[in-house]
Amino acid sequence: MKRETDYGYQIKPVYTPKDIEGFDYQRALGDPGAYPYARGYHETGYRSRMWTQRMTAGLGSSSDANKVLKKYREMGQRGGMQVIHDRVSCSNIDSDHPLGRREAGILGWPGSSLLEFEELMEDIPLTGQSITVLGSSAPSPLRLAYLIVLAEKRGVALSEIHGSVMESPFENYMGQTDVQPLELNLKLFLDVCEYVIRNKIRMRAAIISQHFQESGGNNAQALGVVLSMLKEICGRLIDERGLDFDDVATLPYELVTVGSRFFEEIAKIRALRRMWAKLAREHFKAKKEKSCHLLIAVHTSGRTMTYQQPLNNIARCAIQTLAGAIAGCTALDNATFDNAHAEPSELAARMSLNTQHIVAVETGATDVVDPLAGSYFVELLTDKVEEEGYKMLAKIDELGGMIAAVRKGFITDMLNQEANKKFLEIERKERLVVGVNHLVIPPDEEFEVPIQEVPPDSNAESIARRMEQWKKTRDQAAVRERLSRLHGDAKKGDRFNLMPAIIEAVRVYATAGEISGVIRMARGLSYDPFEMIECPFELHQTACA
Amino acid sequence: MNAGTGIKVIVTMIGLDGHTTGAETVSMILRDAGIEVVYLGCNQTPEMIVDAAVQEDVDIIGISSHAANYDQVIQVVNLLRAKNIGDIPVICGGNIPRSRFGSLKGSGIAEIFPPGSSSEAIVGYIVNNARKAYAAPIPEALRAS
Amino acid sequence: MALPMSADAPTDICAIVRALNAGDMRTCARLITRIERSEPNLVPLLQALYRAGGHIRIVGVTGSPGVGKSTLVSKLVAVWRKRGLRVAVLAVDPSSPYSGGAVLGDRLRMKEHSCDEGVFIRSMASRGQLGGLAKAAGDALTVLDAMHWDVIVIETVGVGQSETDIMRHASVVVLLQTPMGGDDVQAAKAGITEIGDIFVVNKSEHPEADHTVRQLEEMITLALCLHPEKTWRPPVVKTRATHGEGVADLAGHIDGCFAHLAAQPETARLQLRDRARHRVGELLHYMLEQRLRSGVGLLPENLIDSVVARASDPYALAAGLLARMD
Repeated sequence: MKRETDYGYQIKPVYTPKDIEGFDYQRALGDPGAYPYARGYHETGYRSRMWTQRMTAGLGSSSDANKVLKKYREMGQRGGMQVIHDRVSCSNIDSDHPLGRREAGILGWPGSSLLEFEELMEDIPLTGQSITVLGSSAPSPLRLAYLIVLAEKRGVALSEIHGSVMESPFENYMGQTDVQPLELNLKLFLDVCEYVIRNKIRMRAAIISQHFQESGGNNAQALGVVLSMLKEICGRLIDERGLDFDDVATLPYELVTVGSRFFEEIAKIRALRRMWAKLAREHFKAKKEKSCHLLIAVHTSGRTMTYQQPLNNIARCAIQTLAGAIAGCTALDNATFDNAHAEPSELAARMSLNTQHIVAVETGATDVVDPLAGSYFVELLTDKVEEEGYKMLAKIDELGGMIAAVRKGFITDMLNQEANKKFLEIERKERLVVGVNHLVIPPDEEFEVPIQEVPPDSNAESIARRMEQWKKTRDQAAVRERLSRLHGDAKKGDRFNLMPAIIEAVRVYATAGEISGVIRMARGLSYDPFEMIECPFELHQTACA
Repeated sequence: MNAGTGIKVIVTMIGLDGHTTGAETVSMILRDAGIEVVYLGCNQTPEMIVDAAVQEDVDIIGISSHAANYDQVIQVVNLLRAKNIGDIPVICGGNIPRSRFGSLKGSGIAEIFPPGSSSEAIVGYIVNNARKAYAAPIPEALRAS
Repeated sequence: MALPMSADAPTDICAIVRALNAGDMRTCARLITRIERSEPNLVPLLQALYRAGGHIRIVGVTGSPGVGKSTLVSKLVAVWRKRGLRVAVLAVDPSSPYSGGAVLGDRLRMKEHSCDEGVFIRSMASRGQLGGLAKAAGDALTVLDAMHWDVIVIETVGVGQSETDIMRHASVVVLLQTPMGGDDVQAAKAGITEIGDIFVVNKSEHPEADHTVRQLEEMITLALCLHPEKTWRPPVVKTRATHGEGVADLAGHIDGCFAHLAAQPETARLQLRDRARHRVGELLHYMLEQRLRSGVGLLPENLIDSVVARASDPYALAAGLLARMD
């Protein structure tokens, strides 16, 4: 069995002061609330702000997802909600698309129009909790538009709403794909970010390493990749959109995966805070102290939730949640014990939320800030993973930055190799996983997981048919007019911000497929990414000129 | 000579499922066992998969499903049968609940490999069950007259 | 034995030929599998197909890994499909030198032509067949030839001799590359103007694109000075395959190249003779290898030892082997 970190550092049987010789507390850590923020951003940790305790929702129709959200609130979801798109709206096509009608609502929320968002949020406040809607990068501008329009309709001041609806354009290369080309995802992502910053909207952009790690990337690679993503995105917002770093820095948050290798995961998050603070201050010349704070949300690892002996996953989830808590996170959502089988059942969701509450109120882990600081082992691990992370950052810098690295296939190649390595480690029993390659039981003795099925009256076809019918009831002239304007705007070059036109189109209930379709057409792409349907509208010529 | 020499398989995702890692890892394992993998990637419909199976003349089809889109997986089997090439086995991998195994196999899925399946099991199954193109029935058109 | 013609040849060649003529994809697909497996009893069929064929435009597309060949081919096919042409694509990818397996990913980039009755796409692994790669590709082209496609495209990675040899099966060869700095172009110069009839600089949005085009133009001018007998000046086309830009232009140049061949019967005749000569050479080479493997021509180990000891030499031994084959 290997006794090394996932990035290959050999772990010794014991650590002593010698291992951190020359350790300078102020330089390496600083007090909680002080640069370089390795110990977190709040002097009193969770006593001043508890992490947001949330679960991921989204399955079946929008009304089904709405019921689940309400249920989660009853179960003790605190501080925020999180919804994930279905595969259909992730790809910016509509439920009534030939491919959409096969999968609408199967793996998430069918969020391809404002109508769906209104139903999702029925009787759920937009304020007093963070609103997080994720799934893929492509629908980012739509999600922001839904939120802006719904806030207006409800008469809620936009400044009162916070959360995250934007996702970085790199996920397509980290094992979680949508069909939109990188150039377009990047352009739209920058548009949304610029719009949010200029209008002082409190929406954060997820720069996600979660998928990278859930697809097999190791901790050190993840740090390098996250820093490169942040560097690239912030750099472009400054250079291409003329924004100030201290404004840009209010934008990103990082969704990081935490697995079961307890100390290493804690070290990674501590290192990430320190690395961002240095990047902000040294590279971007941050003027505000707050710009050195990177909000870090933790997702406990779905990859580690085994298919075999699923109840073991409750133990894994607890260890990972404790790691996330001790590391000092802003928000936490859990993979559920049935993760390898289906979308979370009510039972599984309750177990995960309860796990968070047990860690929060029973263990004492929230009483004190960064309790592992000063541990020879943890400080060494923090330095090590940081060191290796910087090596990766340097390598990506050498390739010309994150976008260049993606284009050269560097990221996907690295990920595939690492995934393959992890697979072989388990196969060769170099890493043991209980129930998978250790203490295995025959399949007929397995605990049968209750499967969360899509509610029978909201299968994909019925969601599709509803959308088909509903589309006809819209003000067609208004939809056509707004889409024509959007089409015209989309021809005005990469730096012309499309958000205003997208918001106007969403206001008259233009759908994800339509909005994305006309933008694609303006860029010389097919209306439908799958080339199965044609643009249903005759766009105004004047607008296209 | 490797166990899989001479065998040609399709490895594909189906529908809008975007979880590519499993399919890519399996492709590498099969390649390393000497198998030729035609990798179709994401966003394949059942019709596209069957079309590729005909043109590539493959011996087995492996579908990675992490998106609970079983109707489409079964549709592949039905389309193969409709084209008279139901002798090409369809196998499936991914996070498929055991409670679904019965109905999937009843619908003609030859084997299911849940997470944690060993490469030995996957390669072994393919080597023993791939349609052997030599022995496979001659296409209709070839048989005529 | 002059030809490895086997007694258990397919009994009904006519039926197969009819199926191919009628465009039956399954028959075609199965035949290519059998070619990949070097089934000896296919020879009479291939002979018949060869004699009846030769009417279809074959376009070769080659270039290093990652330059965007498959994407470009896919867009080219789209242009031809809009004109109502039926197209077959043979995409050759390298096998793993360690296991002999392969991951063939070209189809991935040609998704848009799935389920189109007017397009046939076949992937082929370079080491998947027991014989020579170029021979197998040539045989596969002979089969495709019988199906009355309007165009056949053969796509290979342009590295290694066997891949370059494949291009000899094509009448028009498109050589693809991405923009690169001056020194790189100089380094790549050796040889590339020999095989390309059309040069494509893909990823035209790259800042070095125009520079690369100029460099190629200069190289072509130089090559034509050295070979004044050549009547075709290879055009240099800029494309952005991912967006389909420049692809219609490329299709036009491909037409132009075929038109040039039609207008220059002597050039065309020379090219056909060259291709035929090459095909014969390929087969000869293959047959020799088969004979050596079959044991008839196997060297006794002690003779190898005599070469090692320099008591004999490879020339004498090879000549002796050849003499023993009759």
